[in-house]
Amino acid sequence: MANFFPRWTNFLPLKILFCLMVLGGVASAAYWYYLTPEYMRKGYEPVQPVPFSHDIHVTQLGLDCRYCHSYVEVSPHSNVPTTQTCMNCHQQVQANNPKLAAVRESWQTGRPVEWVRIHYVPDFAYFNHAVHVNRGISCVSCHGQINHMEVVYQHESQTMGWCLDCHRHPENRLRPVNQVFNLDWKPDGGQTQVELGTALKQAWNINPPQNCAGCHR
Amino acid sequence: MKRIFHHPPVKPTGRRYWRSVEEHADTPEFRRWLEREFPDGAAELEADGVSRRNFLRLMSASLALAGVGLSGCRRPQTYLIPYTKSVEWLVPGRAVLYSTSKPGRLGAMPLIATTYEGRPTKLEGNPLVPFSNGGTDTFTQASILDLYDPDRAKTFLQDGKESSAQALDEYLTGVQRDLQSGQGAGVAFLIDEQYAPTRDRLLGAIKAKYPQANFYADEPLGYGEFHAANEAIFGPDVLAQPALGNADVILALDADFLGQEGQIDQVRDFSNRRRADGSAHGMNRLYVVENRYTVTGGMADHRLRCAASQVPSFTLALAKQVAAATNDRVLSAVAGRFPDSSSQFDPKWVAECANDLVSRKGRSVVLMGSRYPAWVHGVVLTINNALGAIGSTLNVYDAPRVKAASLQELTANIKAGAVKRLFILAGNPGYTAPADLQWPEVQKTVPEVIRLGYHVDETSPGVKWHVPEAHFLEAWGDQRGPEGTYLPVQPMIMPLFGGLSQVDLLAKLLGVPSGLEAVRETFRSVARGGDFEGAWTRLLREGYARDSGYVPAKRDFDPNGLPNLMKVAAPLPAPVNPSALEVVFAADYKVEDGRYANNAWLQELPDPVTKLTWDNAALISRSTARALNVADGDLVELTVGDRKLAAAILVAPGHADFSITLPLGYGRPAVGKVGQGTGFNAYVLRATNSPYVATGATVRLVQKGGYHLVQTQQHHSMEGRNLVREGTAEEYARNPTFAQTMGEDAEIPPNLSLYSHPPLNAANQWGMVVDLNTCTGCNACVIACQAENNIPIVGKDQCDRGREMHWLRVDRYFASADGDQDNARLEDEPEMVMEPMMCQHCENAPCETVCPVNATIHSEEGLNVMVYNRCIGTRYCSNNCPFKVRRFNFFNYNDRPVLDRIDQPVPGFHGKQQLYLGPLGHWGMDEISKMQKNPNVTVRSRGVMEKCTYCVQRIETGKIVQRIKAGVTGDLTLPTDSVRSACQQACPTEAIVFGDLRDPASRVTKLRRLPQNYHLLSYLNIQTRTTYLARLRNPNPKMPGAEKVGKINAEHEHGGGEGVGNEPGPAALNQGTEDFHHG
Repeated sequence: MANFFPRWTNFLPLKILFCLMVLGGVASAAYWYYLTPEYMRKGYEPVQPVPFSHDIHVTQLGLDCRYCHSYVEVSPHSNVPTTQTCMNCHQQVQANNPKLAAVRESWQTGRPVEWVRIHYVPDFAYFNHAVHVNRGISCVSCHGQINHMEVVYQHESQTMGWCLDCHRHPENRLRPVNQVFNLDWKPDGGQTQVELGTALKQAWNINPPQNCAGCHR
Repeated sequence: MKRIFHHPPVKPTGRRYWRSVEEHADTPEFRRWLEREFPDGAAELEADGVSRRNFLRLMSASLALAGVGLSGCRRPQTYLIPYTKSVEWLVPGRAVLYSTSKPGRLGAMPLIATTYEGRPTKLEGNPLVPFSNGGTDTFTQASILDLYDPDRAKTFLQDGKESSAQALDEYLTGVQRDLQSGQGAGVAFLIDEQYAPTRDRLLGAIKAKYPQANFYADEPLGYGEFHAANEAIFGPDVLAQPALGNADVILALDADFLGQEGQIDQVRDFSNRRRADGSAHGMNRLYVVENRYTVTGGMADHRLRCAASQVPSFTLALAKQVAAATNDRVLSAVAGRFPDSSSQFDPKWVAECANDLVSRKGRSVVLMGSRYPAWVHGVVLTINNALGAIGSTLNVYDAPRVKAASLQELTANIKAGAVKRLFILAGNPGYTAPADLQWPEVQKTVPEVIRLGYHVDETSPGVKWHVPEAHFLEAWGDQRGPEGTYLPVQPMIMPLFGGLSQVDLLAKLLGVPSGLEAVRETFRSVARGGDFEGAWTRLLREGYARDSGYVPAKRDFDPNGLPNLMKVAAPLPAPVNPSALEVVFAADYKVEDGRYANNAWLQELPDPVTKLTWDNAALISRSTARALNVADGDLVELTVGDRKLAAAILVAPGHADFSITLPLGYGRPAVGKVGQGTGFNAYVLRATNSPYVATGATVRLVQKGGYHLVQTQQHHSMEGRNLVREGTAEEYARNPTFAQTMGEDAEIPPNLSLYSHPPLNAANQWGMVVDLNTCTGCNACVIACQAENNIPIVGKDQCDRGREMHWLRVDRYFASADGDQDNARLEDEPEMVMEPMMCQHCENAPCETVCPVNATIHSEEGLNVMVYNRCIGTRYCSNNCPFKVRRFNFFNYNDRPVLDRIDQPVPGFHGKQQLYLGPLGHWGMDEISKMQKNPNVTVRSRGVMEKCTYCVQRIETGKIVQRIKAGVTGDLTLPTDSVRSACQQACPTEAIVFGDLRDPASRVTKLRRLPQNYHLLSYLNIQTRTTYLARLRNPNPKMPGAEKVGKINAEHEHGGGEGVGNEPGPAALNQGTEDFHHG
């Protein structure tokens, strides 16, 4: 009796299994990469109602972050500036620039400018700006070099794992408190970031919560 | 080897606590009910109609349909919306606190309101005010929800048609002209009882300008009789307020001064004299005579059940005894006017109570229920005078009030055609007026009625103008505290629907520019010169005006007023009997006189005594139920004279025989969505001559089991462990640690735990102590927790299934006084004790070990943390929790219309709550309801477990504030007692104390060192973080039954311990927990 199956079929199940494994692996890898905030959120750069340039205002003109985000040191929430804040300068400077039409309209009608939210912390997570900037964590750690951005985009993934990376090793990010709003600051004097951070961590008694209750209430 | 833990068995006889009549009877139905973790329809999801299988079928179909759209793939664009102009004081994301106060009948409640971006979310007491300790009550806590009531009156209505504020202004201008020309003739104002200086000043201005205008007061729970008696004896414009801090012995004659009739300072002063800090020396003693259990009765050292109609007779019997003991001639003369009625009371009880009062002459006081007739108040004042109470334990103040006639007189004047225009500034007479006045018909005969009302309700039909009333958080005003301190009522938000307050409306009538101007004008006389703006700022900042309290009246007890008072004394009613019952119209603990009937938090709150939710019921004693052959849930018809009412029966332990208590405020014919169809309208039976007690009532059974009452009391039963521990002051002096070695704790097995835990090594270790000695069970903490933690309501049907969501509940146990279960008197003479119960934050938490997804874990600070996002809803944790404090979201109670019913003809669904429509139902919260939510607490969704977090948001906020303050100094030490939980903050008796156990100076550490401190179920080695201070009673040894008071756990003293499973395991297993106390 002739062989019912040809010889080459002997390894067919194994080959199929191998292919499936590779396929599965690729699918998983694709999922892990493309469907996570690392890919889905990083770089999110929506069009804003006003083409506001942080680069011009901060780097060229030298405005401090806290001129507009005035409550970042006292509030959990870093406020977006009121129209009044914009108009403090733009009543005189660039008063007729068509790019600022939305701001002038808001000022006249009293209806606020609706800025598109970029950095989104879910409602069940409670991030507090004030405690971070008062204890040596700079804006740049979470928002990137926003002072050089023409249009703001999300620079970090801002996942829980990313939060915990820093809460476990704050020394990687700590800097002198007077350099928190200097987004271009780099450790100098021959010290590495880790050396400086470790020293600051000890001196300031930095002990970030790693427990769920630290952020979820 | 499986270790099966046996709880120490419950002794079959002997004294024990029981919580409901069913438990006491121990029926098979009750056993089955008890043994199920989620009583009704847990595994089936829905007991009647839809099985889990059918439900899954439906769900999968709808999911498949939903999948077609795949609309969830893109991230939704959201917006950041800043203010256009910056707002003064406002920091986005941070709470701004303002002082204000909530009006009350005898005095206001000083408050601090928490606001976020201009919307108030939480009210707390103002501890800066000298007469307050920062506590509040349930009504105050819940009144924030009234502000956001979706059923509020929202528009100005003229003749029932929508109008505007401008149209009202024009109309009022016309009214002003009429007033001027007629000197106010034919104009009447209906007001409520308040000590509101500005309102009273404006009313005075109206009276001065238009002398023919008349004022009337409408208060179903008013203090008119009480004031009448005081004024007859002390002269006009006096207010008598007890000073309980000076009182060693207190007798409350149906006076619920710790509950309905209490002021914050009285509750504080009473509990301060109740607390035992290692010694019970100086503890006060409380006698209570009442017909039903009130929270005050639960605190009593000696309680006498007495029909309310017989309380005047008791008062006279007591007066005779006190007169004999003090030789007070005035009192003898007063008592001698009445026939001797003392035979129906235990002579020893009356005599020894009187002796105790007299022996502490000048340090004792008798309090009388506010709604008894004025002559009874006159007798009580005379007794107090004989006891030397006046000026010592009873303060008499000069407190001017607006003179207002009664609703009865208004009705007579309307019938006589003397009222052409009626301003109803407060109250809801269409619902609350005595039935014999026929108010709705009478009101229709008034040509023009201008009604200021919070809801469009029973009083609204046929009015010329319906003006939406502003909440007290929406308009300027002022108030006096119970001892006269001037308090501001500061608005937190612009009127949401453009409403007006009483002050606003009166200001319009007088041409005063605004309510604020009117209040500032009043304050000028309070500030008495000097820097007015500075004083005004200080008033708003501190929430009270310094040294503005009433001046103690320089008026003597004048017996010449007594004969006039006594003249109107009706003959004493005959003792109650089965054919002539009495009906007592009690103030309800939840809806008061009906004004809170549309407040969902209060409707769902279990009554402190009956644990009834969403309804009232006719409360009767067990003996009466037997005599009348009725039981719980039977629908009966009550007849008083020619008035009839159908109501459901509820047997209430400790109730007086042949007396029926019918709480007011339910069964409202015209109310919003929340109050619809709740309870029975007791006002139907209430007449002018029986404002509090109606006698000669009869009961006829209409339908056996005709009404379904929902109580939360049988949920969470605890099987007779020594959860509440009680002793007497005398026993405490002898053996202060009696509570620690009681029952099961007499012999605790070695500390063994199979599980290892993360070390409890953080700088702060949180804990809580609940003092059962001062807890009255008033429920303020429950509502405070609900407001703070965004706890949803679930509706009556869900409560019936045991799904109420309260993180903090107050367990109410009745203790059998005699211990003989066959004794028919058992349920009639029980003691009542209260025990606030919330997550105990066990260090060896049983819930944590069974969670398959690590959704409940322990923090280094000793918190048992619930992580909503991890929770998959297995409910194992709740199953394993010995305290049954974990609550599960069976539905998305926040986003689904809990109170709506399905009106589509879907088989199996019709008439059920809309919750059961699942994805097909309406989804989303009302905009107005969103405004109340605390932004610091997650709003939970369906399918997750939740429970007390020790207010972790407050802990974290405290830590963050300290870290910000520390900056680079690294000093992370929290100031002592700087973090307060919401329940602790709200507690008027300071019974709940939360804090850091590692801080040796904190109050919680000090309280835990007290000898009466004990852990619940400590033989389970769960190491609870919440502990309790045993309750002490202070009986008078000479009283009858004194030997039975406070000895409830006595027979357990040497029992227990024998039930622990197998032999102790190997020592290697003994990992236990890190003992932070040594750290």
